[in-house]
Amino acid sequence: MGGGEARGRMVEGKGREMGVIIFTLFLGLTWLLVYRTEKYQKLKLEVERQSKKLEKKKDAFGDGGGDRSQRKKIERQEEKLKNNSRDLSLVKMKSMFAIGFSFTALMSMFNSIFDGRVVAKLPFVPITWLQGLSHRNLLGDDYSDCSFIFLYILCTMSIRQNIQKLLGFAPSRAANQQGGGLFSPPPVK
Amino acid sequence: MYAKQDKRKTESAHEISGKLDTSVWVRAFSSNSEWSNKDEFLDVIYWIRQVLGLIIGITWGVVAMKGFAGIISFSLLNAGLVYIYFNNFQKVEEEEYGGAWEITKEGFMTSFASFMVSWIIVYSAIQYG
Repeated sequence: MGGGEARGRMVEGKGREMGVIIFTLFLGLTWLLVYRTEKYQKLKLEVERQSKKLEKKKDAFGDGGGDRSQRKKIERQEEKLKNNSRDLSLVKMKSMFAIGFSFTALMSMFNSIFDGRVVAKLPFVPITWLQGLSHRNLLGDDYSDCSFIFLYILCTMSIRQNIQKLLGFAPSRAANQQGGGLFSPPPVK
Repeated sequence: MYAKQDKRKTESAHEISGKLDTSVWVRAFSSNSEWSNKDEFLDVIYWIRQVLGLIIGITWGVVAMKGFAGIISFSLLNAGLVYIYFNNFQKVEEEEYGGAWEITKEGFMTSFASFMVSWIIVYSAIQYG
């Protein structure tokens, strides 16, 4: 009995190590594939510069102000920016797929390790519509028990964005503000 | 001419990396600093938030704070301290950043997630470890 349990634990440990290694490899790969390419760096710089320029121009003339030629200039620039940011999001798409895939793989692996176990005690009882998540596949009525998936989601939320920000992969604010990208609604005319 | 080009180069270098260099830290901790680059200041706010989230999370875990009082007090403390920072310490024009709400919002969700993770982990480790 004891031997079997110990072996089970060892297998678990190995699985976890493998998972972490595979995960890191995946991230490294996407970094090489996407963020190191010259095309990405150039596009990102271009989008940022254009967004800043556009913002400045818009500030200077206001939305309705300026004569016709200036308005036309702004429109032309907006068009250019839109094209560029569309290209950028196409390049980013590759990494998004790879990362989505690796996160799903990682989650299913953790799921098989931690399924049905209480991984942490919550210092509070979550509201009803979160209990399905925080008490997933757990026995008992103690809703302060925390399933792994809840902690996993919180960890991704905090760690992923901070790492993106630290390494400079997060989209810049200027580009965000000007809209653009593949999934943004078209501007109102 | 060269100086101007240089400045532009460093600015774009900052924009690419999103990281903060040392002079920014000096300015972040001295009162009434000049912020020519808006993004730099927002980055400072963002990182202050993250550190605050971690510190409050660990503290709440150690003192075994329980229930929604923990979450509410975190939100109030976080928003309040950042408000005091940019309003009384740095004294920036909030209108330049799109109003006080924009600054208060900056990085709140991530900081909230960091707070929850550190709170839950420290609490579990101490109470049930």
